[in-house]
Amino acid sequence: MSSIKHDPITTEIIQSSLQAACDEMFVAMRKTAMSSIIYEVLDFGTAVTDSNGNIAASGAGIPAFIAMCDKAVQAVIKKYDSNQIKEGDVFATNDPYNGGVTHLNDVIVVMPVFSKGERIAWTANIAHWPDLGGMAPGGISADAKEIFQEGLQLPVIKMIENGNPIQSVIDIITANSRVPQYTLGDMWAAIASIRVGEKRIKDIANKYGTEIFKNSVQQFMDYGERTSLDALSSLPHGTYHGEDLLDDGRKIQVDVTINDKEFIVDLRNNPEQDDGPNNASYDGTVVSAQMAFKGITSSDFICNAGTFRPLKVLCDEGSMFNPVRPAAQGIYYETDIRSYDLIWKTISHLNPNKSSAGSFASICGTFMGGQHPDTGATFIIIEPQVGGWGASSVGDGCSANFSAFHGDTFNTPAEISEARHGVYVDQMRLTDEDGGEGKFRGGKGIVMDYRVRSKNAWVSVAYTRSKSLPWALDGGNEGGSNYIEVIRKNGDLEKYSVVTGLTLEPEDVVRIHTGNGGGCGKPELRDKSMIEEDLLNEYITLEQAKKFYKYN
Amino acid sequence: MLRVATDVGGTFTDLVYFEIDEKSGKALSIKTAKSDTTPSSYEKGVFDAIEKGNVDIAKSTFFAHGTTVVINSITERKGVLTGLITTKGFRDSLEIARGDRPDFFNLRYQKPKPFVPRYLRAEVPGRIDFLGKELNPLDLSGLDDVIEKFKKHNVQSIAVCLIHGYANSMHEQKVIDYIKSKWADVDIVASHQITREWREYERTNTTALCAYIKPIARSYLDKLNDKLITSNFSGNPYVMQSNGGIDTFESTKTIPLTMIESGPTSGVLGAAELGKLIKENNLITLDVGGTTAKCSLIENGNVKINTNYWIEKNRQSAGYPVMLPVVDIVEIGNGGGSIAWVDNYDKLHVGPQSAGADPGPVSYGKGGNSITTTDANLITNRINQNYFCGGEIKADMDAVSKTIEPLSKKLKFTNAETARGIIRIANNNMINALKLVSVNKGYDPRDFSLVAFGGGGGMHATSLAKELNIPKVIIPVNSSVFSAWGMLMSDLRRDYILTKLTTMNDQAIDILNKTFIEMEKQAEESYKKENISKELISFKRFGSFRYLGQDHSVEIPITNSKFDEASIKKIIEDFHTQYEKEFTYKLENQVDMIQFHLVAFAEIEKPELQERKVTNIKVEDAVKETREIDFDEMGVHKSNIYNFDLLEPGMEFAGPAIVEDPSTTVVIFPNQKCKVDKFANLHISIEGGK
Repeated sequence: MSSIKHDPITTEIIQSSLQAACDEMFVAMRKTAMSSIIYEVLDFGTAVTDSNGNIAASGAGIPAFIAMCDKAVQAVIKKYDSNQIKEGDVFATNDPYNGGVTHLNDVIVVMPVFSKGERIAWTANIAHWPDLGGMAPGGISADAKEIFQEGLQLPVIKMIENGNPIQSVIDIITANSRVPQYTLGDMWAAIASIRVGEKRIKDIANKYGTEIFKNSVQQFMDYGERTSLDALSSLPHGTYHGEDLLDDGRKIQVDVTINDKEFIVDLRNNPEQDDGPNNASYDGTVVSAQMAFKGITSSDFICNAGTFRPLKVLCDEGSMFNPVRPAAQGIYYETDIRSYDLIWKTISHLNPNKSSAGSFASICGTFMGGQHPDTGATFIIIEPQVGGWGASSVGDGCSANFSAFHGDTFNTPAEISEARHGVYVDQMRLTDEDGGEGKFRGGKGIVMDYRVRSKNAWVSVAYTRSKSLPWALDGGNEGGSNYIEVIRKNGDLEKYSVVTGLTLEPEDVVRIHTGNGGGCGKPELRDKSMIEEDLLNEYITLEQAKKFYKYN
Repeated sequence: MLRVATDVGGTFTDLVYFEIDEKSGKALSIKTAKSDTTPSSYEKGVFDAIEKGNVDIAKSTFFAHGTTVVINSITERKGVLTGLITTKGFRDSLEIARGDRPDFFNLRYQKPKPFVPRYLRAEVPGRIDFLGKELNPLDLSGLDDVIEKFKKHNVQSIAVCLIHGYANSMHEQKVIDYIKSKWADVDIVASHQITREWREYERTNTTALCAYIKPIARSYLDKLNDKLITSNFSGNPYVMQSNGGIDTFESTKTIPLTMIESGPTSGVLGAAELGKLIKENNLITLDVGGTTAKCSLIENGNVKINTNYWIEKNRQSAGYPVMLPVVDIVEIGNGGGSIAWVDNYDKLHVGPQSAGADPGPVSYGKGGNSITTTDANLITNRINQNYFCGGEIKADMDAVSKTIEPLSKKLKFTNAETARGIIRIANNNMINALKLVSVNKGYDPRDFSLVAFGGGGGMHATSLAKELNIPKVIIPVNSSVFSAWGMLMSDLRRDYILTKLTTMNDQAIDILNKTFIEMEKQAEESYKKENISKELISFKRFGSFRYLGQDHSVEIPITNSKFDEASIKKIIEDFHTQYEKEFTYKLENQVDMIQFHLVAFAEIEKPELQERKVTNIKVEDAVKETREIDFDEMGVHKSNIYNFDLLEPGMEFAGPAIVEDPSTTVVIFPNQKCKVDKFANLHISIEGGK
């Protein structure tokens, strides 16, 4: 409608419509996906970018997926001439070295949006597809040495041309999946989702006019940039150095430089790339830096290209934060959360309104499988774990929450786990272990028991922050450790933080422990009434009160 | 003879009643009254309204009541100190919750605090499995100590929720019996009395909330009942429930949490009843009040019920689950009193803060100093400046101009442009809420009509419908007291839900036959206890099904009264069809039934509604005046202002126009046409949508 003036209200409504489009794409994916990791764990995200692949708005179930899809769009633009990018085309990549960001299971599909013959935007979707081949079912193996062992690579390919599926490409994908029905189902769900977005963006552009649309998108990014710059100007400027240890004892380190215009994360001089799958692509490292940047600047939900314009990330090629082919990247998430947590540790104290001590900071990815003892059907548990969050200068940390990479992630209720997986959950409670004491104490980790009922069951885990513990602030105590114990039927006890395919027998118990978050302030400064409340609630024992808080 | 409904809101207590002609059974007239809500003792406000409306309660045969007593006790944390008894190993279920964190970038996130502190959460050994089989016997030996501890800490109410208590209530029942035998006067509630659904955190929290408010809700209903009796009321009093039906005081007192959404649901129910009368089965409802807007969706005449209901859930907080059948409503902080503000980046926002009723919008002249949506509607002349609140208040337009000026300055707008901007932003907020109940759940708004009510429904509905391509807007007559009207049209409704994992093969035949009959018996017995005769009872059966290994299930209606091989096959087919409709694909996988759902209605005699009289006045005679109305992008037009009270069945007119009565303003845009139906509801057709 031509009578609509280009005014701030129209701009506002277009911007809010972009968000609504992403949300609608998100819902479309959630409704139509076939894999539970998508529709339950919400391991997926959606986005709209401008015509050059700068992120305009996104929808995600987890914050780690908020700003991921733009890299794929940019990879498409880089690889294909504009005359090869036509209305109705769909491109895909899962290549972490080429716009794919994470690991081969996360496939990003993108499509251009045209209005009156002009490319004005892209819609995109990233989701964890259940299986694309590789040496282990589900693609992720702690034993992988090269990316070739982790599944089929889709190196920025075209899969739909002018709306017509390129059958040979789809056949290759189908042939390489152990669960082709699910993979195809999720693929079509992803395509349906970006098509919904394409239609909505078109509607908006047609209603308000292409120019006004493009302008509003750019203004939205400028707004994102302004809010970030304002936040930077209120942070103390300088260069800040931070270090941390990996569980194997190696040191990682960062220099963060903050000035009026820039936020530079220098991750050079870090360990070389890993022989196994514990590497994260440069793009993945950028996402970690973006999350830490967002954490220190603004907690709102505006995350567009403008928001991150002041951010620069430097990494050495061939390091664990920027590996070169063919390094494996299956467990990228534990590497990403290490760089994220390192950056947060380095800058957290700079904003007294947002700072917090370190949390249990691991995905604590837990995989268990076997035959359901009642039905004989194969069951597989794939789940992250909840743990303790760091304390702050204004209060105790949050207990039993998923890591900062998660958001709308829900744990599996014991009642459902027992029915679906044929295990017994004998307990799911807050831990009594030491760690995280302080004027304000870290939130509590958990203890959860899976008692196995079936023969030939197995468990795999790859937890970090098992030996190198959650860091404290202002003289508080370090948090606790993430690990599992396997208590055999005969009472034998084994302890692991990384293990692959450990065989389990009926009545064996897998006991999951996650750590308390770090404390803030010296424990002896804790208010007596708070100690007594903790004693009343049995958050601490009298022994712990005496030992750590000098309570008498 | 009278039929009376009262609805206690945040600010006002509404009363609506029908006078019934005893010979014909027809409703003669509908009358309303309003009084201030009296938070210290709500029953006082109810009787104030009864007095103000000159209602002789002794002549009333029916009294229905909507109340916020439960939700307020929860929101204000004014429940009683509550203890919890749960299965060994699960004391922290309330605190671990589900581990989700909607506030993505907040590293100081705090979970909502459990309603029962850890020191009042006790465990008992003993275990049931998911099939209801006892794995370990219940051990009550520690309960005496627990009781003593609870007494020492002045616990007033106890919640009992054991693992898999939905599958077998034996252990929960034993715990309750034991405690009652030792401590007769404590309030106690067990999870199986509320719901038989799985998911321990949701069920535990629901049980804890129920225990937390039980003594308060019980004593409130008792006091109200006493007052009714002393006023010689001889009929049955009923309370509006969250599931879209009403229920007796007696039944409500055992599980008073069912009143949690007592207020908002009656409007949705009213829309469904109105839909039956005017033969509109697919409706989106919009209720715009002073502080919030609420939306819901009705498909094929059925109000959507959801047992995955959360309170206080938003982008900053995970909220608390309430595992009860609740009408599916989306509520946003956007009403007539919502405040417009400009942020540091010169962006205009509306809400969620509200000026409330006191001081209210600037135009009230009661000292309000923030511009609200209502003020913006006055500037555009959509609300009549000379007939504000039915002429009760002189709109203080000078104050409005002065107050909006700084906003306009920041935005570099004229005041008129700012006012339009405020309305467009408010509309946009409501559009997003309407999308949540429609588009985002897979419904196409083009298949629905929009029923708008509450004080501000008519003011915004036509713009919203245009934007969402909804072809028709319906504004009910008496739309400002529509919620209370809904209660007068309601039947008794009780929902029974049972999680029972059943593979849909030959063995399912027996299980389905037995389970539904058992549930029906339970419902009949509960009605029988209250002397409700069997002939009035009717049932609706539903089942939730899913593919093996999946979590999301689909509820489908089950029409069979008896099951055999063929009917099981038919149910499976129905499931495939419905699943494909909702999720776009179907699978070859095994189908499981997860949940049995029985709705037991008990019919209540309802009056037949009187049609509005046709006196054959012309439509022009209903025009009270003309005004220059600002229709934003459609321009400023001299428009007819119609008196709602004078409109008669069969009348038709086109926009630009406004329809007014003392409490409602209906905006009809150019190109929109309005028809009056036989009850004097307005049907506005929206030209072409976008």
